[in-house]
Amino acid sequence: MSGESTEEYLECIFDLTKEGLPAKTNDIAARLNISAGSASEMVQKLSREGYLDYERYAGAVLTERGKAVATKIKRKHRLLESFLVNILGMNKKESHQEACRLEHAVSDESEKRICQMMNNPELCPDGDPIPVCEEDCASCASEPSIELSKMGSGDEGMITHLKCDEEPQKIRKLISMGFVPGREVSVEERTPAKGPLVVRIGDTRIALGRDYASLVHVSSSRSDETFRRRRRKGRGHT
Amino acid sequence: MDVALVGNPNVGKSILFSRITGIGAISSNYPGTTVEFEEARVVRGGEILTFYDLPGTYSLAGGSEDEIVAWKLLSEKRPDCVVAVADATRIEQSLVLVFQLIELGYRVVLALNFMDVARKRFNVDTRRLSAILGIPVVGTVALTGEGIDELVDAVVSGPIARFSYVVRYDSHIESIVAELSSGVEEENVGFPLRGAVLKLLEGNELFATRFSEVVQRKTVDVRSIFRERHLEDIEVHIGRDRYGEAGKVASEVIGKLDRLPTTADRISDLTLRPRTGIPIMLAVLLGVFLSVVYVGGAIETGLLSVYHSVFDGPFDALASLIGGQTGVALSEGIDLSLQAILSIVIPYILVFYVILGILEDSGYLPRVVALLDGVMHKIGLHGRAIIPMMVGIGCNVPAILATRVIESKRERLILATLTVVAVPCSAQVAVILGTVGRFGGIWYAVVIFLILLSILLILGRLLHKAMKLEPSSLAIEIPELSVPHPRNVLFKTYVRIKDFFIIAFPLLLVGSIVLEFLAQYGILDAIVGPFAPFTEGFLGLPAVIIVALVFGILRKEMSMQMLVLLFGTAELSLVLTADQLFVFALVMATYVPCIAAFTVMLKEFGLKDTLKVTAGSIALAFSLGGIAHPIISVV
Repeated sequence: MSGESTEEYLECIFDLTKEGLPAKTNDIAARLNISAGSASEMVQKLSREGYLDYERYAGAVLTERGKAVATKIKRKHRLLESFLVNILGMNKKESHQEACRLEHAVSDESEKRICQMMNNPELCPDGDPIPVCEEDCASCASEPSIELSKMGSGDEGMITHLKCDEEPQKIRKLISMGFVPGREVSVEERTPAKGPLVVRIGDTRIALGRDYASLVHVSSSRSDETFRRRRRKGRGHT
Repeated sequence: MDVALVGNPNVGKSILFSRITGIGAISSNYPGTTVEFEEARVVRGGEILTFYDLPGTYSLAGGSEDEIVAWKLLSEKRPDCVVAVADATRIEQSLVLVFQLIELGYRVVLALNFMDVARKRFNVDTRRLSAILGIPVVGTVALTGEGIDELVDAVVSGPIARFSYVVRYDSHIESIVAELSSGVEEENVGFPLRGAVLKLLEGNELFATRFSEVVQRKTVDVRSIFRERHLEDIEVHIGRDRYGEAGKVASEVIGKLDRLPTTADRISDLTLRPRTGIPIMLAVLLGVFLSVVYVGGAIETGLLSVYHSVFDGPFDALASLIGGQTGVALSEGIDLSLQAILSIVIPYILVFYVILGILEDSGYLPRVVALLDGVMHKIGLHGRAIIPMMVGIGCNVPAILATRVIESKRERLILATLTVVAVPCSAQVAVILGTVGRFGGIWYAVVIFLILLSILLILGRLLHKAMKLEPSSLAIEIPELSVPHPRNVLFKTYVRIKDFFIIAFPLLLVGSIVLEFLAQYGILDAIVGPFAPFTEGFLGLPAVIIVALVFGILRKEMSMQMLVLLFGTAELSLVLTADQLFVFALVMATYVPCIAAFTVMLKEFGLKDTLKVTAGSIALAFSLGGIAHPIISVV
């Protein structure tokens, strides 16, 4: 894992080289608000470690290795910004500063879950593209979420998304009753004869028919292990 | 000044409405009690306030028919003030509706109902909530009347802030709203532009026509672009943001207290867990049946013995005072009408309505709905159909109206048909219990109820197959169990039973006096004579029975009261055998909808379907009677 300052530098150079030209040490220093000397020293260090190709007077460009780190951090930054603005309702300026701090701390797993929760956003609030991750979205999007209808009694989790391909009336009904992404939901009972599930969402208890429940996708808050087991079981049903 | 009460289902709008206006609106502890709006006027400080009690609605999207009723009133009447009624124990859900009302420019006053229950669980800072939302917020307890005056004051005194709360949506949605709003004149839309555009984006058809075709087309494009980019419909994101904001606001004004589960919570859980819930449900249903039979029976015996000891003398005196056949006819007519009321309406119907009221207010019925939904789907119905059917055991008229909680027309028709044909109304139950149940033995009555149940299952299955559509699925809130308030239970019973006295009694009185005259002067036999082959030959019943059958069309309980009048005695066992009573009760149990039920069906489903159901039920009733007559005489 690369250190925080490494990430900061690489991210900065990523921005400066966006147009395809090498980044000058002076520009880096100005952007990171440090002296030209320390910038030059750090660039040389990163070059030795294989993150940068650096030529004196010409400037620095990212190597493949450097690009990977920078892209990753940029992705986390913009994803976090979107999360802070769209889900937490923060304003754009605050969200940028907050994202600058959080981007180094947020784990890959959290990054993945935020991405899933927000349904793989493509643009950050400023309209810049969020770099894509290496994983295949189709497999990822469906992976840690299961249909609410497949959860057992006593299970809980957070709604990741609603399956919107069919039946807009049902989706509207679900939204109006409070089944929206981000809310916690738990299954209290499963009634016999393929009857409804009794679920709790917020402070409300709702009897929800299975076809409604199958439109709601939930990520289990249990550990990944139990979760995968359940999913395999769940697949057996269909 | 027009004031509308709006809110999610089952937050106590109707009871609040009753409290404010003093007008009786039926309220129960399950979602969807009110299907049509009620209105009432109140004078406050010299100003006339017209209050409207609207059916519960989760959103202003107009999905089901009761939501459409609510939205129609809001958009057409444009009330000067909207009282958003919220359940204080779960504010979040209601805030989402409040946001939408504010967005659409309504002047909103928020009533946090069930404050007493909420206070036991957490602190609700109504002042802070009022400051955040920029609207008056009043805590109320509709059952006791707490906060009602303050609420009406808030309605009368006008808006408190110049700005109300504005929900911020994610940046993409905001930019879309700005784009669609540009160049649109607010006057043409008739609603604040932002709110109307959001409704348009949500795919609300009721709003589409308020915009020009250009904007409508643009909306379709924007919605599909949004979908492609986010893999989710825009309404999901709009909903998510509203709930997000609602959660934020709620967390600011609610101080959670730690609360251990109470005994009530544990009982509440047991009624829902299938393993314990199903036995409890069966016990409750059996209890209802037995209470009606035995409590009703005991009251009937008591009332009649008191009646006989007090009134037998005076009526004999009345007859001899007037003298001749006229005297007998008049005094018997009045006497027997009173007896009929005492032996049917008061014991059985009253007892049933009290029990129904208790069940409704306890919040138990939605549990039955949840537990039976799976089974009900097998006969092409929703678990929700249980409530109209239970109501139908009281009276088919409100039951047919209550079918509106079902979204699809097809299911409504199945449900209404089953209710009319196979669910005995309280009058029919009284007839079954009061004739064959009383004079032939309770098992005869049980057999009739079992026959009705099989008809329900078979007919449901057949209709389901014939109509070839999957029943829609269930999504219903389950309220907490609570102890019914005697006042509300008795009030509901009074409202429901009033008709028996106001409409049925005069009808019965006139009918019975006329009949007595016909009988006294020997005209009756001449009229019923031609029907003898049918009644005597086919059903094995005396010819005069035809009179009872005819009166059964007016009101079901009158068929039995007419038996009493026709034979001149309340001791029917003296004139009819148990088998004859069985056939009579069986025919009455499935026989045509009474005139009131017929009228309501006509209004709800149109002439064609109503006639089909009516003809079907007559055919079924007589076939059952015709089959039962030979079988039972062999057995």
